[in-house]
Amino acid sequence: MTYFSYFKAECLVLFRRKQNLVNALLFFALVIVLFPLGVDPSKAFLAPAAGGIIWCAAALATVISLESMFKEDYADGSLEQLLVSGLSISWLVLLKVLVHWLGMIIPLLLLTPIFSEMLFLPDGVLGVLMTTLLLGTPGLFLIGSIGASLTVSLRQGALLMLLLILPFYFPIIIFSTSAIQAVASGLPYSGLLAIIGAISLLALVMSPLMTPICLKASVR
Amino acid sequence: MQSNISLTISDLWIERGDRDLCKGFSLTATSGDIIHILGDNGAGKSSLFKTLFGLVSPVEGEVQLNGEDVLSYRDPLLKQSLYISHALGLKSVFTVLENIRWYFPKVSEADIARVLSLLKIEGYLDVPIKALSAGQTRRVALARLWLSDLPVWFLDEPFSALDMVSIQLLEGRIREHAEQGGIVFFTSHQPVTLLSPRRVELTA
Amino acid sequence: MSWSWFHKLGSPKWFFQWSKKWAPPVFCLGVLGIVVGTAWGLAFAPKDYLQGNVFRIIYLHVPSAILAESCYLSLGIAGFVFLVWQMKMAPIFIKAMAPIGAVMAAIALFSGSIWGKPTWGTWWVWDARLTSVLVLFMLYMGIIAIQNALDDRVLADKAAAVICVVGVINLPIIKYSVVWWNTLHQPATFSFMKKPDMPEVMWMPLLICVVSFYLFVAGLVIWRMQTEILRREHRASWLKTEVVGDGI
Ligand SMILES: Nc1ncnc2c1ncn2[C@@H]1O[C@H](COP(=O)(O)OP(=O)(O)OP(=O)(O)O)[C@@H](O)[C@H]1O
Ligand SMILES: [Mg+2]
Repeated sequence: MTYFSYFKAECLVLFRRKQNLVNALLFFALVIVLFPLGVDPSKAFLAPAAGGIIWCAAALATVISLESMFKEDYADGSLEQLLVSGLSISWLVLLKVLVHWLGMIIPLLLLTPIFSEMLFLPDGVLGVLMTTLLLGTPGLFLIGSIGASLTVSLRQGALLMLLLILPFYFPIIIFSTSAIQAVASGLPYSGLLAIIGAISLLALVMSPLMTPICLKASVR
Repeated sequence: MQSNISLTISDLWIERGDRDLCKGFSLTATSGDIIHILGDNGAGKSSLFKTLFGLVSPVEGEVQLNGEDVLSYRDPLLKQSLYISHALGLKSVFTVLENIRWYFPKVSEADIARVLSLLKIEGYLDVPIKALSAGQTRRVALARLWLSDLPVWFLDEPFSALDMVSIQLLEGRIREHAEQGGIVFFTSHQPVTLLSPRRVELTA
Repeated sequence: MSWSWFHKLGSPKWFFQWSKKWAPPVFCLGVLGIVVGTAWGLAFAPKDYLQGNVFRIIYLHVPSAILAESCYLSLGIAGFVFLVWQMKMAPIFIKAMAPIGAVMAAIALFSGSIWGKPTWGTWWVWDARLTSVLVLFMLYMGIIAIQNALDDRVLADKAAAVICVVGVINLPIIKYSVVWWNTLHQPATFSFMKKPDMPEVMWMPLLICVVSFYLFVAGLVIWRMQTEILRREHRASWLKTEVVGDGI
C-alpha cells in the first residue's frame, strides 16, 4: 500500500458511493428551502440572510456527510490494515479529508450561485460568498474528521457528532457571514477572510494530530 | 528478503476489560520459525497480535525486533510485517482486482493473474467482493501472502472457511516462506497436517 | 525542581490516600465561605444605586461563570496531560469534573437570565457573555455525551481527552468570534452596572464567594474522583486494604 494507491482507492470509493454525496447535497438544498418556507419568503428577509442560510446549510450537510467517513473502513477491517500498514496515519487522514472535501466543494460551488439567486443574495456578494466557502469548508472538514473518528465505533453516531462538532463550527460560520454582510454594506472584509483562512489552518494542524488518536483507540 | 530476523517477546502482560489474558508471556522467534498460537476461544490470541501492532496497549512487557524495542516506536515492526486479522480488510465496494491493486499498486498484472489462478479465483477478477462466498473472500485476502515480500507474518485463523485444497495450498506457502527465512505466527483451532510448527499455548 | 509530585499525582493509590485527608476540609471551607460570602453579600452589602437589590445575584452569577470557564480550562489541561503522558488520573479527573462544569455553566446561565429580566427587560439577550456561556455549556454536554455513548472505557477516556483538548484550543476563538459577532449585531445599548470601581463592601463578599466556589468545586471533584477510582481500581489489592481499613 502506498499513499498514492490509497488516494486512488479513496477516490474510487467516493465514486462508487456517490449516492452518499448526492444525499448530502440534497440535504443541503432542503435546509435552504426550510428558511423561505418556515420563516418568510419575502426578499426583505431573505436578501440579508442569504449568506448565513447557505453557510448553515453547508455546515449541517458537512457534518451529515462526514459522519460515515470512517465507518465502512472500520467495519470491513481496512482501517485496521491502514493502522498497521506502516504509513503515517496522519497523512492518510489528510488524504481522505482532501478527497471528501473535493467531492463536496465542487458541487457545492456549482449549486451556490443557483441558491443565492433563489434567496435574493445582493449583487456583487456572490464572489465573497464563494471565497468564504472555499476558505472555510476545509476547516469544517478537518474538524469534522475529528468528530467522525470519535464516533466511528457507534452505530448511530450522527446526532452525537452534531452535538460535539457544531460548536466548533461557530467561529467559521460567524466570520463567514460577517464577511458577507460586510461586503454587502460596503465595508472592508479582507481581514475576515484572513481569519477564516487562519482557522482552517489551525484545523489543518489539529486534525492530523487528533484524528489518529481516536482512530487507534477505536480499532481494538 | 532479510534472512536473519528475530522477534522477542518478554514478560508481556495483556489485560482486556478487567481480565488478564496473559501475564509473563515470553517467546522468541527467529528466521525460519513457524509458530502456532493455541488457546481457547477468548484466550487472547487475537489480542496478542493486536498488542504487537499497537492496537491494544499491554500493561507491561517488551517486544524487540532484531534487538530493537518496537513497543514504543512501532515503525520497524509495521514495515516488516503482514497482518491478516479476522476482519479481512477488503473493501466491499471494490472488485477482487481493485482490492488487490489497492494493496499492491506496483505488482504486475501477470503476477496477480498467476496468484489468482493458483487460488482458483481467476474467474472473479471483476466481481465485487460482496458477491463472493466466505471462503472465496478469504482466498482473496490470502492472495497477499503470495504477492508481498514482508518477512514476518501474523495470520489470525487463516484456515477458517477454506476448503481442503486451499488449506494445503496455504500450508505449503507458509512452509515455503519459513524456508526462505521468514517468520510465521498463526492461530488455528484445527490441527495442521503438512507443517510441524512450534506450538505455544496461551493461558491466563 | 523535583517531578516526584507529578508522578505521585499520577498514581491512584497515592491520590486516594492523599485525598482522604484533604477532601473534607477543602469542601467544608468552601461551603463555609459560600455561606459567609452570600450572607454578607445578600444582607449586609449596600444596594447598588442603579439596579437596587437585583444586583445581588452577582454573588452567585460571577463565581459560577468564572468557575465554568476555569473548569473547562482544567479539563483541557487534563486532556493534554493524558494524551501526552498517559497519566492514569487525568481521565478520572475529566470524568469527575465535566458534570460539575456543566452545572456551573447552567447556574451562570440561569442566574444571568434572572438578572437580565429586571435589568434589560428580557430573560435573554444575545449578549456576548451569555452566548459564550451557552456555547460552553454545550461543549460540556458534548464531553458528557461522548463519555456515556462509548462503552469501551479506554476509548471513552481517549475520546473525552481529545474533545477537551480540541475544545480548549478552540474556546478562545469561539469567545472572540462571539464577542465580535455581538458587537456587529448589538451596538452596546445596554451598559450595565459598570461603575468602574465597586466599593469594598461590595467586592469583598464577591471575592470571598469566588474563592470559596473554587474550594467547593475542588472538594467536590476530589470526592467524585475517589468514587471513580473505587470503580476503576476495584481489582487492586491496595484498594481492598484501604476499604477494609475504613471498616466499610
Ligand atoms: N473490543 C474488545 N473490547 C473489550 N474486550 C474484548 C474486545 N475484544 C475481545 N475482548 C476480550 O478479550 C478476550 C480475548 O479476546 P480475543 O479476541 O483475543 O480471543 P481469541 O483468543 O482470539 O479468541 P477466538 O479463538 O474466539 O478468536 C475475550 O475475553 C474478549 O472478551
Ligand atoms: Mg481470535
